Amino acid sequence: MIKLENIEKVYQTKTIETLALNQINVEIKKGEFLSIMGPSGCGKSTLLNIMGLLDEPSKGNITIDDEPITNYSDKKLAAFRNKTLGFIFQSFHLINDLSVVDNVELPLLYRTSSAKERRKLAEEALEKVGLSNRMKHFPTQLSGGQKQRVAIARAIVGRPRIILADEPTGNLDSVMGNEIMNILTQLNEKDGATVVMVTHDEQMAKRTHRLVRLFDGSQVF
Amino acid sequence: MIKHLFKLIWNQKRKSFLLITEIFFSFMVLFAVLSLMVKYIQNYSKPMGFEYENVWVVNLDNLTETETDSLGTPFHQAREFIASFPEVEAVSFASQNLPFAASTHNSSVKYGNISSMAHIYTVEDTYPKTMNLQMSKGRWFNKTDQGTKYQPIVITEQLSQNLFGNENPIGKIIKADTTHKVVGVVASYKDKGDFTDPVAGIFFPISAGKDYKSNILVKVKPGTGAIFEAKLFKGLGGLLRGWNVEIEHLTDKKANQNKVVFIPMTVLLIVCTFLIFNVSLGLFGILWQNINQRKGEIGLRRAIGATEKDISKQFIGEVMVIATFALIIGLFFAVQFPLLHVFDLAADIYLIAMLISVIVIYLLVMVCAFNPSRQAASIQPAMALHEE
Ligand SMILES: Nc1ncnc2c1ncn2[C@@H]1O[C@H](COP(=O)(O)OP(=O)(O)O)[C@@H](O)[C@H]1O
Ligand SMILES: [Mg+2]
Repeated sequence: MIKLENIEKVYQTKTIETLALNQINVEIKKGEFLSIMGPSGCGKSTLLNIMGLLDEPSKGNITIDDEPITNYSDKKLAAFRNKTLGFIFQSFHLINDLSVVDNVELPLLYRTSSAKERRKLAEEALEKVGLSNRMKHFPTQLSGGQKQRVAIARAIVGRPRIILADEPTGNLDSVMGNEIMNILTQLNEKDGATVVMVTHDEQMAKRTHRLVRLFDGSQVF
Repeated sequence: MIKHLFKLIWNQKRKSFLLITEIFFSFMVLFAVLSLMVKYIQNYSKPMGFEYENVWVVNLDNLTETETDSLGTPFHQAREFIASFPEVEAVSFASQNLPFAASTHNSSVKYGNISSMAHIYTVEDTYPKTMNLQMSKGRWFNKTDQGTKYQPIVITEQLSQNLFGNENPIGKIIKADTTHKVVGVVASYKDKGDFTDPVAGIFFPISAGKDYKSNILVKVKPGTGAIFEAKLFKGLGGLLRGWNVEIEHLTDKKANQNKVVFIPMTVLLIVCTFLIFNVSLGLFGILWQNINQRKGEIGLRRAIGATEKDISKQFIGEVMVIATFALIIGLFFAVQFPLLHVFDLAADIYLIAMLISVIVIYLLVMVCAFNPSRQAASIQPAMALHEE
């Protein structure tokens, strides 16, 4: 579905030049559960952001369903992210001034939908992550695990084909981490979503279909 | 999306409170200043009702004598002396509340049960010629009125409205100190400068040949200048030995009266500009701070499908919503002014002032938000989401 070829990413700051990714070739296939592993700073987030079209590679090609994205406009990229991708982050990135259900509805605000429709989809998504009884709460009233479940509900509310998760269990203890892992597995197995997950936990990685290892920006085989 | 923004601002109302208060106060000050300005502009566009160019005022002051009766003769001599020059078109004694003079003389007048305050002017038959007054109804008083039962008076259109509404005022008998009969109406009389209201007023006649006033209005031929003024001054000095003689021009007096309006207006405008400048700075500060604190949110919104335009629209939208909250509170207070008749201003003045204030505040907010919001939109999403 998403194919990365010979991806290279260089971060240029005033003083130094960082080669964050070097010669990366990955293809994400429909329905798979892929994990990306590697030590901190090896370029995992950079790779995931490039897959999610949030960042541009310095070199290399990205194709989506065999179409190169080089000529995608900002609008088309945004629409693609909105409809096809669902993001989950290590630090949740919930908006504290919005209630749980409003947070979950957020992606639907960037497409045409009615308020009623949005509410219904958000309720369904919250039910899937087991948070139906926390809809009116605010993020500050939730535990870390609950926050991440809200973030997952937000990622799946628009029924995306691909879920991109950047260390979704990184800020959680192992019990809560397992819960999140179960939800992701279920989304993959039951709902047929393609999941790409960044982690540096071997246990978590073992539960996925395929593993891409990074070290210092390069793929390790 | 608008509902979303309202929700967002409502939930963080404590954070927005300071800004809402600031915008509210700016609105109120702007509303006050604009109400006055609109009133002044409205008044400015109304006719003065008389001509003040080439009209001079001769003020006569006897420095020693106080007994009035014995003074009648020199005042009348002075009047005759002035009128005798070919440069002079018309003269009239007039009470101290001359056009553009600081002095006023008010009294309550009655017609049946209706009463109104009125400015009281005492002038001669020659007053309309001296001032080129525009009559809207009837005529000025003259010699034929002598010996009639009621003293004839001329009133201003404003007083006619106050007392008689749309009825014809000619022939009506009104009560001031005694009873008087209205013989004419002047179209307008705006005697305190360009920016003041046309007044409700009554013109009483001076009894011919007997009464006098210490001020004489003199209409001179166009182009009559300083040479004649000096001649007149010298002549009056010779005629009235030991008296104080002063010659003024109505154009100068008008300019002085206008200053009475202009100076406080300028001060208010400066205060208002300062306040608005302050609010702009506050807005800028809060927006920049917002963008730095909310980088994560910006990144997230981009990740879930916001375009660059959506981001900038959101930031502009948020301050517009904040401004809307402030304006709703402001308008609530502003509408009390016409509803409770706090000041003697017409409702339409307040409405125009409200409308302009609202537009100015929204424009100000948009201008302030424009650059920061573009900045927010240009933040790279991956950069915004970057976490160590
Ligand atoms: N916006 C950026 N500017 C400069 N360097 C960056 C930026 N983002 C990441 N890097 C650098 O790129 C490398 C990879 O970062 P990242 O992808 O976040 O690693 P990981 O997610 O594996 O911890 C690191 O050396 C990091 O410091
Ligand atoms: Mg990372």
